[in-house]
Amino acid sequence: MSIRHHPDESLLLAYASGTADEATGLIIATHMAFCPQCRQTVTLMEKIGGRLLETLPAAPLSRQALDATLARLDEPVAVAVPPRAPSKDGTPQPLRAYLGGDLSGVRWRRMGPSLAYKPLFRRGGISAKLLRGAPGTEVGAHTHRGMEYTLVLAGGFCDVTGRYGPGDLQVADSHVRHSPIADPGEDCINLAVTTAPLKFENLIQKIAGPLFGF
Amino acid sequence: MLAHVQSCEFPRFRPVLRRAAPVRLAMTRPPEALALDALLRRVAQTRDRAAFAALFDHFAPRIKSYLMRLGAPAAQAEDLAQEAMLSLWRKAHLFDPAKASAATWLFTIARNLRIDAIRREKRPELDPQDFQPEAGPDADDAITLASDEVRLREALKDLPPDQAMVIQQSFFADKPHSQIADELGIPLGTVKSRLRLAMVRLKSALGNTP
Ligand SMILES: [Zn+2]
Repeated sequence: MSIRHHPDESLLLAYASGTADEATGLIIATHMAFCPQCRQTVTLMEKIGGRLLETLPAAPLSRQALDATLARLDEPVAVAVPPRAPSKDGTPQPLRAYLGGDLSGVRWRRMGPSLAYKPLFRRGGISAKLLRGAPGTEVGAHTHRGMEYTLVLAGGFCDVTGRYGPGDLQVADSHVRHSPIADPGEDCINLAVTTAPLKFENLIQKIAGPLFGF
Repeated sequence: MLAHVQSCEFPRFRPVLRRAAPVRLAMTRPPEALALDALLRRVAQTRDRAAFAALFDHFAPRIKSYLMRLGAPAAQAEDLAQEAMLSLWRKAHLFDPAKASAATWLFTIARNLRIDAIRREKRPELDPQDFQPEAGPDADDAITLASDEVRLREALKDLPPDQAMVIQQSFFADKPHSQIADELGIPLGTVKSRLRLAMVRLKSALGNTP
């Protein structure tokens, strides 16, 4: 499995520096579960963060700050969170934290004969969901008001911008108009994050899109 | 904002240490950074409060500074700096000097505390269960890391100012790159290409394949 489409430095840096929103963070962390190259880049970015922290001019603390902290060293600590159970089907752990289990256990909501989805969360205008398309499924042509991030978890799809397989991340901004088609063979399962609703061109999808939270 | 950012461009590092710590990698790594890592190991191994206090004196004011740059009011930044240091005390046994320096480790602690306490979001985290470790534990890891840190700090100093600035803004501005671009009056593509060029330089300084 070789990954062809990575998040750019800007996205990786948003994750490493902690400025990425949670949904974008989820898609980057899930990509990194597939991608040693981006893990290495983020590790380097965190080292840069450490170096920048070291070189910041100190902001003096109040005089009692150290003593107050020393006095708290012996406070009882809440029980540590147990490690997550291992996945049975290879679902990346960052995603399992939101699914509460494996991809194979997801209860899909159908929309039409060949498409299903599972909302994960929505915060402000940003939403994260799983999409599942039967082989050959076509998602109607659409453009975007904001950004659309699509990470392939299983199967693959194709559109004007290229081919995407497991671990590949597609980033589409408001200039991209595309109609992705799922590869033949197995179901295509994607993690999708949108920062604003999609704009569908087909009338039915125009009506149905908002119902399904697209 | 610009002058503010440039004034802190990688100034010299002056640690305040109460006690000298054993130094093993002095040839490859500035002794003060090694001393900080050694203090952190002492906290982990012997729950040494003097070592903790020395780490506090060095890092807490910098964590406060970091959080204030990202917009936290002084009182909250100070509370969170103390929380970060408490977290260091409690998690010191997890510190792996072969993986990160004390500064890098504290940076990730402070970053995550801020997401949790100020942004009130979760940070989706990687889990080593998802992948084989890139390289097995190796006696040379600590030495490799130490020389990497030296090369990284040199390479950061040598970055062209326009690249150094977008890197700094990425850590300290809490703004998307599109907004950083607007404020600098340059296209987003230019910000992204500066970031890409900076990362290529830093990776090659560390001998990473791009
Ligand atoms: Zn990648």
